Amino acid sequence: MDDLLADFVAETREMLEASEGEIVAWEADPADSARLDTIFRFVHTVKGNCGFFDFPRLAGLSHAAEDALADCRAGRRKPDSALVTAVLAIVDRISAMVDAIEAGEDFPEGGDEALIAALGNDKDTEDLSFEELKDAGQGSAVEPVSPGSDDIAAEGDAPKKADTSPAVQRSIRLPVDLLDRVMSGVSDMVLARNDLGHRLRQAGNQPTIDGPFERLTTILSDVRDAITRMRMQRIETLFSALPRLVRDLSAELGKQVMIDLEGGDVELDREMVEMVRDPLTHIIRNAIDHGIETPSARLKDGKREIGLLSIAARQSGNTISIVVSDDGRGLDEARIATKAVETGLITASQRAEMSREKVLQLIFEPGFSTADTVSNVSGRGVGLDVVRDNLEKVGGSIKVSSQPGIGTLFTLQIPLTLSIIAGLTVEVGDQRFAIPQSYIEEIIHASAKALDFTRVGETALVTFRGDRVPCLMLSEVLALDHSEIEEDQHTMVLLRLASGDLFALAVERIHSHGDLVVKPLAPAVMKSEIYAGSSLLDNGQPILLLDVTNIASRYGLVSDARTRVREIGDDVIAADRHQVSRAMLFTDFSNRRCAVRLELVKRIETAPASAIDLSGARPRAVIDGMILPVVGLPEGQIPTEKVRLLRLSDGECELLHAVREIDDAVELPGMLKPERDDPLIEAIALIEGSTVALMDGHELFTRHGEPPEPLARPLCRIPSDDWSRTILAPLVVSAGYEIVDGDEDHGDSENAVRVVFVEESSAASEKGDGSVIRLRSELDAGDGDGSIYRYDREALMSALKEARSAGGLIR
Amino acid sequence: MNELMVMTQIAGRRCALPAHDVKSVIELSTITPVPQTPEFIAGITAMRSQALTVIDCRLTLGFEQTDWETDNRAAVISIGGHFYALLIDAIEDITTTTGEPGQVSGGFGPEWSRVAKGMIETASGPALLIDLHALIAGPDERLTGSLNAAA
Repeated sequence: MDDLLADFVAETREMLEASEGEIVAWEADPADSARLDTIFRFVHTVKGNCGFFDFPRLAGLSHAAEDALADCRAGRRKPDSALVTAVLAIVDRISAMVDAIEAGEDFPEGGDEALIAALGNDKDTEDLSFEELKDAGQGSAVEPVSPGSDDIAAEGDAPKKADTSPAVQRSIRLPVDLLDRVMSGVSDMVLARNDLGHRLRQAGNQPTIDGPFERLTTILSDVRDAITRMRMQRIETLFSALPRLVRDLSAELGKQVMIDLEGGDVELDREMVEMVRDPLTHIIRNAIDHGIETPSARLKDGKREIGLLSIAARQSGNTISIVVSDDGRGLDEARIATKAVETGLITASQRAEMSREKVLQLIFEPGFSTADTVSNVSGRGVGLDVVRDNLEKVGGSIKVSSQPGIGTLFTLQIPLTLSIIAGLTVEVGDQRFAIPQSYIEEIIHASAKALDFTRVGETALVTFRGDRVPCLMLSEVLALDHSEIEEDQHTMVLLRLASGDLFALAVERIHSHGDLVVKPLAPAVMKSEIYAGSSLLDNGQPILLLDVTNIASRYGLVSDARTRVREIGDDVIAADRHQVSRAMLFTDFSNRRCAVRLELVKRIETAPASAIDLSGARPRAVIDGMILPVVGLPEGQIPTEKVRLLRLSDGECELLHAVREIDDAVELPGMLKPERDDPLIEAIALIEGSTVALMDGHELFTRHGEPPEPLARPLCRIPSDDWSRTILAPLVVSAGYEIVDGDEDHGDSENAVRVVFVEESSAASEKGDGSVIRLRSELDAGDGDGSIYRYDREALMSALKEARSAGGLIR
Repeated sequence: MNELMVMTQIAGRRCALPAHDVKSVIELSTITPVPQTPEFIAGITAMRSQALTVIDCRLTLGFEQTDWETDNRAAVISIGGHFYALLIDAIEDITTTTGEPGQVSGGFGPEWSRVAKGMIETASGPALLIDLHALIAGPDERLTGSLNAAA
């Protein structure tokens, strides 16, 4: 809550700063309607925000000012200098109050009524004099403003600020374009490093260069992380305030609304988060106020009592799309059109030529509102036009689609000013393309029996978790030559769009995951609407980033508001009605048919057998930079080149279950026969006529579950002579260690693997509890003391590997 | 008067590109094709850490690709913040102009008129002064342009 409050204070201040000039200008010319709009928006936003925070006095003041200004905008009242003064007094009072809120002090009681009365909303303004106003402003900040004064807002701000110096985190403000420049410089540095790395690999192992290069890499990735963090923020910080907002709004309006948030881990520019905050709040307000009906009206229409508001964020190339959908009454085309004609936005003949979609977009026009009653929440014709203005200012856009009686769907597109995104590289027809990771739901090798690739007419379909999902062949989308690979032998990348639709993209091969620095493409290429940008691979080759959303919509795979909302509603209802347990069927390495509850399965991973470390007491594998325990492996060598792994999670701990083959997701029968002999088996189930052992999740996690451990390089301490530094160090690094210099005494290097020379070893150098590898300089000397001849590469490597799995791995 | 021009051969004709607009001349190595884009976009290629859109000048003018040889060198230009590599037959020289661009009665022929700013006299003889915006717009531009004008 404190964060939110700080945000509110900062936001109000910022707006105050921004409108300072406007206020002065408005004062000079009260008839200037553009200035009036700006100030109106300011008080409107303050009103909205403080309704959320429960600051009744602020709300009262801003509501009164808004009323007066709304009258001016509607032409019911002519702004005069008395009104300007009164409004400015209120703006100053708001500023003083915000200061008090930030300092955590109580603002002196009283005085608000007089300020509100000064607006003369109900009576004649002439009755009020400046003197009265002065008396009203007991707070130190509120002073009558003399026309022509240059720093009105500052007057309100300054005296208060001086004596409030709470312990605020030290920070500085930087122009965003400076950050942009640094960011793009770092991006280029990453590319240059990749290029250099590629050349170094071509030139072979060069220990003297590899060491510094490794260091450069580490430093660069640190710098990049820091810069990225400097600018990026998870959209979660924005989302976290929404449930409360929805709850309060719906309570106030006597409605029941459930909120569904998705994609909180999408990161976007800090500045963009701020830009989206207002628009999103406005849209949510509108949706709850105008969109979602009262519970009784909903029941009458055969809908569920509780309205559903869902907000999903997705990243695609250089844009983020945020979809806000509700299952309310939808937009009324006829009413919007009538209203637009009435207010003179369009003419009747224009109306006749407009499509429904075009008519709906009219709600973003300034001064447009269909609400019959003005409530405290929304509906004064300010809002959607501001939303659109704000988005367009940063190069974004907003669209609306709606089905009467079924729901409304707002799609916001916001650009990312910087873009390093996680992407998957795929291959088709000898060419590589990148897909943004955020869309990828799962990757399935088409050989999986469960996939069931079929063609219905020209449309290809695959089966994913029991549903038929449309499938696009990437080679067809790109009109490339058909490959030698059979149609049903492709690898399927399942992609989920921001609208919630799922489809499969068939590619020939999957290459790698990695961070891509996305650069914009030339307009002529963008026109194809297939690509979202380009990036460079490590070898310096350019690669094209696919625009998943546009590709899907070209093939009509994006549903409109109706199906999206229906789907969710039905799912929820289905879940309410009866709890169906589902399980993932698989065959393990001892050819047993097994099943594991689907809720436990987080993902299906495929890893090369070499990625599984069998040398430790427990087998482990590294997936996505996390070290996870592996169970279910066969004895001895792994028979296949690649291993399919079920990634199981209980929410906190994770483990990998190796399987020979993955079958299908099935519904578990109601009757399960408990199994007592094998603790790892929960029960025996009869599925499709044969018995299947259902794994006991509880036992599995008791025995093997571990919180995933981030992959960190184990430390190795080496002697500090020249030989060790130049000859030994590269070897140790290539064995996956990080070097700690012999002399430095790191606090965390206690567990480091240490390499010492037998000749030089002393009691002091052998303290600590990590493993020790002892080297000797002479080939023949010291046999039998467990030391290794320093040029016996094989023995040295295997000792390093052993030490790593024994102690170095777990820090 | 006396502007620097990069003299090039495009589809067998001598053309002048304002030297101010030409960022550099590069040897094209691998070009990554971009499927589903107009044919005159040969693909993208990398120059240092920059992605360049490669424009095949023979195709953008409406000639056949096979009619003219190219030495795989390209002039790099920047338009609207995007970098383009113009694939041309050959680069000849850098020279100075000796006059203002002028028109020739009868025009320069259907393919050339679209991209020509006019004829320019240079120290090494007359050449066609190229409008870079028109050049990278591709052969369809005039068609769509006239359609828009009609609408």
